[in-house]
Amino acid sequence: MQSQSLLKRSWDIRKEKMHYGWEKAKRMKICYLFLAPYAVLFTTFFILPIVTSIYFGFTYYNILEPARFIGFQNYINLVLQDEVFLTAVKNTFVIAVITGPIGYILSFLFAWFINELPRWLRTIAVVVFYAPSIGSGAYFIFSIIFQGDAYGYLNSLLLQFGLIDAPLLWLLDPKYILPVIILVSLWMSMGTGFLSFVAGLQGVDRSLFEAGYVDGIRNRWQELYFITLPSMKPTLLFGAVMSITSAFNVCDVPRALAGYPSTDYAARTIVTHLFDYGFSRFEMGYASAIATVLFLIMILCNKLIQSGLRRVGT
Amino acid sequence: MSQKKQKITRIEQPKTQSRAEQLHYLAQLRGEIEEEKPQLNKKKFIIISLIVLALLAGILVYSNYMLDAIENANLDHRTTSRTLLLMLGRDPEVILGGSDAVIDEELARVNAWSSIFLVARLAAIVGLIAYGFYAIITLLQPKRRKPNRSFWGDLGIYTMLFIIAVAMAFPLVFSIASSLKPLDELFRFPPKVFPDHPTFDNFSDLIVTMGQSWVPFSRYLINTVLITFLGTLGHVIIASMAAFVLAKYDFPGGKTFFKIVVTALMFSGYVTGIPNYVIMSKLGMIDTYWAIILPAFAAPIGLFLMKQNMESLPDALIEAAHLDGAGEMRIFWTIVMPNVKPAWLTIIIFSVQGLWNTNAATVIYSESKKTLVYALQQIQAGGIARAGQAAAVSVVVMLVPIIIFICSQNQIMETMSSSGLKD
Repeated sequence: MQSQSLLKRSWDIRKEKMHYGWEKAKRMKICYLFLAPYAVLFTTFFILPIVTSIYFGFTYYNILEPARFIGFQNYINLVLQDEVFLTAVKNTFVIAVITGPIGYILSFLFAWFINELPRWLRTIAVVVFYAPSIGSGAYFIFSIIFQGDAYGYLNSLLLQFGLIDAPLLWLLDPKYILPVIILVSLWMSMGTGFLSFVAGLQGVDRSLFEAGYVDGIRNRWQELYFITLPSMKPTLLFGAVMSITSAFNVCDVPRALAGYPSTDYAARTIVTHLFDYGFSRFEMGYASAIATVLFLIMILCNKLIQSGLRRVGT
Repeated sequence: MSQKKQKITRIEQPKTQSRAEQLHYLAQLRGEIEEEKPQLNKKKFIIISLIVLALLAGILVYSNYMLDAIENANLDHRTTSRTLLLMLGRDPEVILGGSDAVIDEELARVNAWSSIFLVARLAAIVGLIAYGFYAIITLLQPKRRKPNRSFWGDLGIYTMLFIIAVAMAFPLVFSIASSLKPLDELFRFPPKVFPDHPTFDNFSDLIVTMGQSWVPFSRYLINTVLITFLGTLGHVIIASMAAFVLAKYDFPGGKTFFKIVVTALMFSGYVTGIPNYVIMSKLGMIDTYWAIILPAFAAPIGLFLMKQNMESLPDALIEAAHLDGAGEMRIFWTIVMPNVKPAWLTIIIFSVQGLWNTNAATVIYSESKKTLVYALQQIQAGGIARAGQAAAVSVVVMLVPIIIFICSQNQIMETMSSSGLKD
């Protein structure tokens, strides 16, 4: 009897809450009006694609014929039959595991180092570090630097110093493609996250440093760990989201440098694989399955990093 | 919170700093006392500088000289090799009396030295750079230097920063330099970074080539400008309206919506490209400008930055306007928007950068609707004959966003300072 009444009570409370929420929603009509244009577009071009790609992941769909439901067949094929996909996953993880954390840490460290420079010098430094990631197509220059013949800048340099006898095919030899791509991605990794770090560091409360000084913070590293990092947690989270994005969505750089498709699929990433199936073979169902896998990986990484960052400085 | 405090107090009090010194420092920080210039003994500094510079320059010149001499000694003519080996200070009896084999042996021995001189030269160069920073830091001491910073730490960090900055800037400088090279210099061996005879030929060739293209060049330009303008305008208005209510009103569903937007920050256009293509084709927007413009309206980064920025606006401002009888629309246009000027400048810039760089090859097929970047990439794909123009193209595409960024740097920094994600 007791339990039933409890259940009933909780039900009542919920109903009350719903009612209250509904009333509130009605009073705030204008808010929904303001939100509506954005919400409609956002749903159409960001939510709907994600939902449809989950749906199409379970179908065979080639745009011309209507989608045919085939259950988990796409995912089974991905893992069991598609060796190129496994190469792509491996490559993406190698690139993401190296460029993600290193790029993230480097962009924080550089932001922190330039923080105490005089203003004009800081501006120059920000432009120098940030320029590679906005000057789109700037990575094109690496195809000249890493060119495979003796006219390539790196090759000719190495030849002059006698370190190699014959020019190396940096962008065609499967041995070198991945390191080159990682290098270029690292070069481009000071993106939006870096900007927000620079701005966030300027906003840390100065009185905290004074207090820390009196309490015996002796050097810059202690100050970084005990004061700066904990008071920048929100910015750090934002930077983490940004670096996950750029680490997992590597696509343009391998396509521009290593060719598409690359030798032996050595530069194949999940996103280029997705492009191959989606826009070259028009197997939209299969491509959607790939996209779904990528979504899951990224959301999982984000959760892991968030829980990790919460522990900083405590 | 209490845990954090404990951690900090657990560090020992520094022995070297007396209470008086600490108080003095705090007073300096607050600007109550004019800080005395750090005791910079000019005489001592100059003497040390001269010694250090002389030493480094000596090493540099000597190792350069030795490297040259070693290189010359390797020349094939035995007589010259002999003289040069003598000049290098080898034993005259061995050199003059020795056979060619002995000379070769001597040469090998001398060559072994060359790597040491190479290292010495490199060390001298690094030393000179480090010294430059030392001098700069010493002479331009910041007015309020934090006392818990070690001098050598500063020196190390700034030296490293300088070297890395040079490495980061090199590809950009290299691409600008190669766009100024005439064709014969582009294919010179060994390649040089800076051109001997800089010209703007590549750029003028680019304009000529574009004038002859099937679709007039101005068409590509107009396409891009139109897309960029419309996309940015719509994005700023729509995203700020949404950001305004999300930041300033508490209504059911608002927080959840924002969380979804933050998650969507992670998904770049590539990943949603496939399903987006399907959706566009269902909506009949393939091969129209809308396929680029409409998704740009809803870019999550703009809403995100705008909302974080608007949260710092005082609530009282909006309440006061409410009491005066202003409607939401009026509050939005006359009070909120003028107050977040840096934020909307920032999202304008991000949006322009994004749209300027789209090649949109997947959703636009007719040649007359293609964007500037796409046309330029076609020229880049032209191979060796177009190598000079390709270099010019990459400079054109690259410089526009960078220049926009430099011009609006201050506003962007102001906006980004509120970009934190609260969990």
